[in-house]
Amino acid sequence: MMKNGFLFFIGLLAAFVFGWGGIALASHLQLGALAPYYDDGEGSTFPARPPGIASRGQLVYADLGCASCHTQQVRRPDFGSDKDRGWGERQSVARDYIHQVRPQLGESRTGPDLANLAGRKAPYDAAELTQFLYTGIVPGTRVLSHPPYKFLFDERKIDGEVSANALVLPASLAPAAGRQIVASERARTLVAYLQSLNTPYEFPEARPATPAPAAKGGAHK
Amino acid sequence: MSAPSTTAEVTAADTAGRWPLLLLLASGLVWLVLSGVLALIASIQLHSPGFLADCESLTHGRVTSLAETTFIYGWAANTGLGVALWVLGRLGGAPLRALNWAVVGTLFWNSGIALGLVGIATGDATSFALLEIPRYVQPLLVAAYVAIGVSGILAWNGRRTDGTFASQWYAVAALILFPWLLIAAQTMLLWSPVRGVLQAVVNGWYVQGAFSLWLAPLALAGVYYVVPKATGRTLPSYEFASLSFWTLLFVGSLTGGRHLIGGPVPAWIPTLANASCTMLLFHYAVVALNLRGAFSGGGTALRFISFGLVAYLLGAVLDAVTAFRGVALVTQFTYFSTAQQQLALYGGISMFLFGSLYFAVPRLTGRAWASAALVRGHLALASFGVLLLVVTLAAAGWTQGHDLTRVATSFADIAAHTRPWLLGVTAAQGILLLGNLLLLVNFAISVSSVCCSAPAENSFRQPSTMEAHAS
Repeated sequence: MMKNGFLFFIGLLAAFVFGWGGIALASHLQLGALAPYYDDGEGSTFPARPPGIASRGQLVYADLGCASCHTQQVRRPDFGSDKDRGWGERQSVARDYIHQVRPQLGESRTGPDLANLAGRKAPYDAAELTQFLYTGIVPGTRVLSHPPYKFLFDERKIDGEVSANALVLPASLAPAAGRQIVASERARTLVAYLQSLNTPYEFPEARPATPAPAAKGGAHK
Repeated sequence: MSAPSTTAEVTAADTAGRWPLLLLLASGLVWLVLSGVLALIASIQLHSPGFLADCESLTHGRVTSLAETTFIYGWAANTGLGVALWVLGRLGGAPLRALNWAVVGTLFWNSGIALGLVGIATGDATSFALLEIPRYVQPLLVAAYVAIGVSGILAWNGRRTDGTFASQWYAVAALILFPWLLIAAQTMLLWSPVRGVLQAVVNGWYVQGAFSLWLAPLALAGVYYVVPKATGRTLPSYEFASLSFWTLLFVGSLTGGRHLIGGPVPAWIPTLANASCTMLLFHYAVVALNLRGAFSGGGTALRFISFGLVAYLLGAVLDAVTAFRGVALVTQFTYFSTAQQQLALYGGISMFLFGSLYFAVPRLTGRAWASAALVRGHLALASFGVLLLVVTLAAAGWTQGHDLTRVATSFADIAAHTRPWLLGVTAAQGILLLGNLLLLVNFAISVSSVCCSAPAENSFRQPSTMEAHAS
């Protein structure tokens, strides 16, 4: 086989197709047609589509490379401390991501998981998140724990009224008198995206496996 | 493999391919130094988040992507291709043909990378691991790679020997498989993206494929040639080499799901990865058996290769161990994964490439390395740097992993606990950068001396005079 160039080439082709078919194609056949889940009780489908501004914010999240330090995937409650840290009540499932153009699963938890940042245990509101992006300091502490992304903000003279998007900063970080720090459009879409991160609905496949099949409510349509 | 060389150390194949191959190797070294600078910035940001935070082009995410892209597509690809073409030319028994294609391909490949880096820095990165180069540059990379590969494929098809050698299999596999891999990944991720988490699955397959079907074969092509040449002995247990080769190609890319343990993907993907990682150990065991002669020899090339061999094997064992769910519970999502990646890419692949580079360049230029002191300096700094990098990253990752499983430990505490180790990572990146600068300087002096005075024709040289011995 090693001496015959043609057989060798066929071997290479077979090896490539084996790996590609085994992972990429097989998983696509299994999940490629995954549909939203219709809940009869609630009369709507899940997951909900994210608002347009959040989809634009995801592009900012992606181009800044936020996924190099933050995951967006919750592991099941008995595997790691994800639930106890308040990152999610249930594990993330494939259906959570079907409306996302570019899911940002991430591979590193230098910072916390963000899959449910705006969920039930949301630690920050929009104003605090915006301020955090600017200062890099967790509200209520004094330590720099995140790069301060000042390039997402403009410092301007206050011309008449203070801008609706101006930051309210503590005295030590506030700009000079007569000036204001205003969140740019990218900062606002990014915050809108972060505020949209929430997976509240419990899909059947996300429930812990139990011996008794308790199918109630929804039907797959 | 082949009997000890009885022909001239500088063959006709070397003289004909000198400048095209040196162009590939030189490009690789320039990118290596640049990636070192970028990796240094990224490592500083891990313990000092404010570092260059105002510079939008150098957010941690972007600078990490830049460093990775430069390292893989700049350093490893250029150097690996240079070595692979050189090996195919020598074993083919005739001077390389179509080298003008290789030169044009090299120029376009490197322009593509430069363009890709600008794209990443200005916010066009694709956000896929190892495939960050923007979509508009990707087709150029495929075309350029194919153009470079033509020369190697011609040498393989026109070989004048009856048998074939392991280094030829690996080199040809890398030349043929990578364009397929890149096209498949581009199609499924960039041109007609698959939905939802499938992107993560396909991305995982591509990342692992790039290692198993491309970078590892490129590096092995060089060392399977250099070890028997430099030791003057045939490779032991060589009859297993072809089985080991096919194991790597068939099983390697199936291990791509090991980063998705516990993730929102079907459970069979990480399970398959777990089983494949263990099966793949056969490949690594055979490589170790075949190349064990590297430990007995002196000489710069063999020292780099024996270091690389240990790292290559250790990386495989760590991959297999961390593919088990119980271990992944701690190591997943931490610096430990980075340590594994660096062990494989820097400790394994790069040290193999350094070894081949130190062996090939004197034969391409026809004269020994300009400075033996610089060679020794690079060997010492590279070995120590890789060791320090992997150990500090692994220690930081282990600390981080255990802290993450304890709910009471806040992220501020984790940052404080990992900080000493992360300072060590920065030191290691600095040491590696310095070492690679020494190599670049030595390479520049050695090559420029050829331009200024042509070497004597048909110079018969003993192998010992071709290498600077770091003893």
